Amino acid sequence: MRDKHLVLIVALFSVLLLTPSLLIAQNGSAGAPPAKPYTTPRTPWGEPDLQGTFSNRTITPFERPANVSGREYFTPDEVAAMEKSAAGRNGDEGRTRGTRGDVERAYNDFWWDRGTKVTTLRTSLVVDPPDGRVPALTEEARKRQADEAKRPAFRGAGANGRGTDTWLDRSTFERCITRGLPGAMSPTAYNNNYRITQSPGYVAIQIEMLGGTRIIPTDGRQHVSSSIRQWMGHSTGRWEGDTLVIETTNFTDKILYRGAAENLQLTERIRRVGQDELEYRVTITDPTTFTRPWTLAIPFINTGEDMFEYACHEGNYGMEGILSGAREEERKAAEARKGSPR
Amino acid sequence: MNIGINRGLLTAALLLAISAAPRAHHSFAAEFDANQPIQLRGTVVRVEWINPHTWIHMDVKKPDGAVERWMIEGGTPNTLLRRGLKKDSLPQGTEIMVDGYKAKNGSNRANGRDITFTDGRKLFLGSSGTGAPRDGRDASEK
Repeated sequence: MRDKHLVLIVALFSVLLLTPSLLIAQNGSAGAPPAKPYTTPRTPWGEPDLQGTFSNRTITPFERPANVSGREYFTPDEVAAMEKSAAGRNGDEGRTRGTRGDVERAYNDFWWDRGTKVTTLRTSLVVDPPDGRVPALTEEARKRQADEAKRPAFRGAGANGRGTDTWLDRSTFERCITRGLPGAMSPTAYNNNYRITQSPGYVAIQIEMLGGTRIIPTDGRQHVSSSIRQWMGHSTGRWEGDTLVIETTNFTDKILYRGAAENLQLTERIRRVGQDELEYRVTITDPTTFTRPWTLAIPFINTGEDMFEYACHEGNYGMEGILSGAREEERKAAEARKGSPR
Repeated sequence: MNIGINRGLLTAALLLAISAAPRAHHSFAAEFDANQPIQLRGTVVRVEWINPHTWIHMDVKKPDGAVERWMIEGGTPNTLLRRGLKKDSLPQGTEIMVDGYKAKNGSNRANGRDITFTDGRKLFLGSSGTGAPRDGRDASEK
């Protein structure tokens, strides 16, 4: 039994070492002789060509689950079980009627597009720290979070600001503004599509969820003045070999990413690891929030599909429903207080 | 032995499935009331094919014969389009049953936990794949 496991582990690591892209191996070249190292194609003007339409949907967990603690990779059997479960799911499993969770999941999986594949054998999208978990918050950040909880209307930017006094209490995602960074580059329940286009000295990343396009200059320019603060920060890019490296700073304090805001600094690395796959890595640094920098690695898989517009404000009845729902609940509560004997 | 392993894997898969429960771009639980389950039967009036979510408008005949107009919040059009659905896929007059939760604000709005045709078939559950009518994953489609 132990030998069997050893063979499996050796086989698994051989696959990982020999093929630059696991997915391509699965899709066709499995069994073929070891391919030549992948050569990134060039644009007509000689820069590495990252262009295409990609999706980062995946069922790979964001953080490493406790039941695979200490393991960097799933076994093929585990992956098969996860993918089978994801493909067969229609949204009714584990749902109890009359609960918040049941309401939140709305209809069945037809509505969602979060994928049915792991897209990487890794047990988490967090690849550093080595335990696959987001590092602890600093004491300063914990104190800040506690203060924000006392002022629910302060920021509607993150998990803490879920009040209903005003639309400002709601997240910038619900408000159709942006998911910020690296939120906008991370997979969510649907619309996980991205289109990359390039021109000499520029890379553009169009994001389907909530819309918007990141324009990243690669001409060596510096960041704008630190007094200029933006929802998506300010990005500058450069090529290191075949890898696009994007440095982003100058974030606003109006949006939170896991407790981090204006002091957030991101280093993203994007490279093509095969004809149909990009490797996207982002290192998240904020010494005022996280006890150490940490890194996500997310595969971006070529979809061959079109992008669609997501004009989020077109009919955001949801916001109206959330706020008017809260007013109605307050009215009922006030009535109940009036009616109840003292 | 094998049964033990499979159970472990299944548990792992289920845990992952639950922890990765999808979220809409806004909180459905903030908009609709878990304490107000509702069942509606009526006919489709129109489908509002809009972002961030589609809405199915339907007429519901009450026991006294009066007709009430209801709105049911659905998925995002981008995903539905990729699943092969179009604005006119659910024609006017189609009879449907909705089992869902009523809006907290007291209006005639609800989310559809389950939407079925009157013969019991689930709406948008036409294949063994993702639930899409023609997603290519159902062997019978090949």
